[in-house]
Amino acid sequence: MKLEMTPRVAGVGSLIVFSVIVLAVVIVPTLEDRLEPSDTWRPRTEIENKGLEIYIANGCQYCHSMYIRPQDWDYGADRVAQAGDYVEDTPPLLGSERQGPDLSQEGGLRADDWHLAHFANPRYTRPDSIMPAFGWLGGERTAQLTAYIQSRGGTDADARMERQHHWKALLIDAYRRGPIENMEFLHDNIPIEWVRLPNPYPATETALKRGERIYFQFCIGCHGPVGDGLGPAAPYMNPKPFNFTYFNRWKAKTGGPIGGILYYQVMNGITGSTMPPFKTELESEKIWDVSNYIAVYFAGGPDKLDTKRGIPSSFEPKQPYEDEQRQEEQEPEEPD
Amino acid sequence: MKFLSDRPYSTSRNFFVTGVFWGVVGALYGVVASIELFAPDLYANVEWLTFGRMRPIHVNVVAFGFVHSLLLGGAAFIVPRLCGLQQLWSERLGNLSVWLWNAVFVSAAITLHSGMTQGRELAELAYFIDWLFMISIGLFTINVFMTLSKRKQKLLYVSLWYIAGGLLWTLSVYFLGNIMFRPAEGALTGISDPIWLWFYGHNVVGLIITPVAVGLIYWVIPRAVRAPVWSHTMSLIGFWVLLVMYTHIGTHHLLQAPVPRWLKIISVVDSIAMFIPVLTVLLNVWLPMRGRWGKLHDNPGAKLVFAGSIFYLLTCIQGPLHSLPSVQRLTHFTHWVVGHSHIAILGFAGFVGIGALYTILPQVLKRPLYSRRLADLTYWLLMFSILVMFIDLSIAGLIQGSAWLGGEAFYRVVPQLTIFMILRAASGIGILCALLVSAYNVFRTLFSGGEAPPVQPADAEVAR
Repeated sequence: MKLEMTPRVAGVGSLIVFSVIVLAVVIVPTLEDRLEPSDTWRPRTEIENKGLEIYIANGCQYCHSMYIRPQDWDYGADRVAQAGDYVEDTPPLLGSERQGPDLSQEGGLRADDWHLAHFANPRYTRPDSIMPAFGWLGGERTAQLTAYIQSRGGTDADARMERQHHWKALLIDAYRRGPIENMEFLHDNIPIEWVRLPNPYPATETALKRGERIYFQFCIGCHGPVGDGLGPAAPYMNPKPFNFTYFNRWKAKTGGPIGGILYYQVMNGITGSTMPPFKTELESEKIWDVSNYIAVYFAGGPDKLDTKRGIPSSFEPKQPYEDEQRQEEQEPEEPD
Repeated sequence: MKFLSDRPYSTSRNFFVTGVFWGVVGALYGVVASIELFAPDLYANVEWLTFGRMRPIHVNVVAFGFVHSLLLGGAAFIVPRLCGLQQLWSERLGNLSVWLWNAVFVSAAITLHSGMTQGRELAELAYFIDWLFMISIGLFTINVFMTLSKRKQKLLYVSLWYIAGGLLWTLSVYFLGNIMFRPAEGALTGISDPIWLWFYGHNVVGLIITPVAVGLIYWVIPRAVRAPVWSHTMSLIGFWVLLVMYTHIGTHHLLQAPVPRWLKIISVVDSIAMFIPVLTVLLNVWLPMRGRWGKLHDNPGAKLVFAGSIFYLLTCIQGPLHSLPSVQRLTHFTHWVVGHSHIAILGFAGFVGIGALYTILPQVLKRPLYSRRLADLTYWLLMFSILVMFIDLSIAGLIQGSAWLGGEAFYRVVPQLTIFMILRAASGIGILCALLVSAYNVFRTLFSGGEAPPVQPADAEVAR
């Protein structure tokens, strides 16, 4: 090939080639973009814009992406990102890495006070988190940042926030009325089948070990190491995290099981409170295990298993925990 | 000592010193930030040490302050040499570039620490810093083209095409990518902004760093093995196809984002086509080495440059494969990609830059490198650390990717990565140590007397 490379060819020539390509693959798509809002888009408010500034200044976008992909699980709101979600963003903060979860649909999935505790120190609510603590932001800026996060998801997020606010008022009211009244209110909002359902799995030693791991990874920040609802996140929250020892009173009053109640609330969360849903993070057995853990260590013992209602499984006929108890009870009766 | 020295090759020397200094700084930022990924409360609530503030400083300082400074230092030496001249058109102007260039990173560190950022990955720097960058590179570009116009060699050696072209592309890519035509925002509105951003992000490597690094590979390796490049035609193909393909493919960073589908298709197809320029360039340099490998062995600089060229191949095998949608389904958003960018910037361009430093600095100073043993130590320490980091991040990425794709929730995967983040920080400390050893070596070379370096073959022999 005979092409003499002079400064002019290498410089001007290559710039011509460069410009043509830029025109085709950068400028044309820009002109193509009609900036039509998507169905859930809405403009940001002033406080949300302030929160966005804090978000950018501290590089949140380096760890949190801002679009959900078709293959993603886990991001509760079930909405794949559309171009119209970004019509107001200068620039859109799509992100390139997930060292933290996607936030594009985060708005309204959790209550505001959950975010306050989480920003103060993410380990307060999420013991395994590696996010930096943002306690230094102080009250006002944390509120602004929270407002921005709660706007993620547009009008969908607004609808979720509306529900959060509606239920929060009712929950605060119930909390003030005292433990039994609070539990009655909470459990009235659980389908009756779940309230009556005992934990179908026996509280075996290994099940309790698994439950302990789940408790320490997910629950301890709010409910505390002894289940009294006094974890490090509790001071930020209103109403306060639930004190599991109150279940003893519930049992004394109703004589009923608590496994189904715990399962339902762990799975779905309690809208308006700081209890988030764990349905994407914990599978069935893990939730039953952690509810056994809570029942045994904080609430006086596991549910009495009615085998006819239980889920068939190989270990069902044997109920080690109850058998052991029975043995313990019988021991004093054999003095000689 | 004058503020703007006019001593021959002082621009080259000062760019090298700049690169060595910011290399240590950049690696330090990387280490400090990476520790947060497994010990997040170690410096909890220290505002300016927040991960999100340190990461852009690490990226900007390493990519430009460390790697590109070394590459420009090499360019400032080989451009006059290949033109048959004894210095740049104006060494004083060259040194002005160096000072402005340093001002970029000082102001970048200050602004980013205090949270002043445009928020676009790799294009965070405030508007005035963008102009410091543009003026510094702009003056250097003028300097290079004026040097070329005074050349005594009629034919331009292939290194010069890359450096001349690369500097002009740098100016264009930086101006467009940072949206400098919209000073107030520094960004576009809507989903087209990421298209510009990743056009930029990709071409920071492709059209800013790679051309100068390839230019140096073309200069160092044929000289070290004393054999000309394989073919002029292959040089031409490598140069033009690199330009054409790289410019196309930024959108492969957005395959899963809501940008136009036709653009994604173009980016995937042309990413695969990247094999053409990469293999052309590497074969062009590697084929003449047959039977002459021994000559690399006793040349610490050339050894580093050669290792860099191998990392270039590795990066450019990985890169096109990532751009396949079926692969990216798994790797996107994971540490795998971070491993890839580390072998691109440090493994490829960083190795070439340090190799150029060890090759050229003795010629600039007219005295040998202070210690060859330390140079070898740098080589092995860097090689070991970057490989540990690369393998570590790749495994971590596969764990993340397959867990997410299998339906595992984000939070549950986090604790599984702790050990990998510890290893990552450890390998970062290895890199930091290697760069400190290198800095010590350069420092002693600069400030000690010594005899003249061994005779080098004339450049005309290489440039045919």
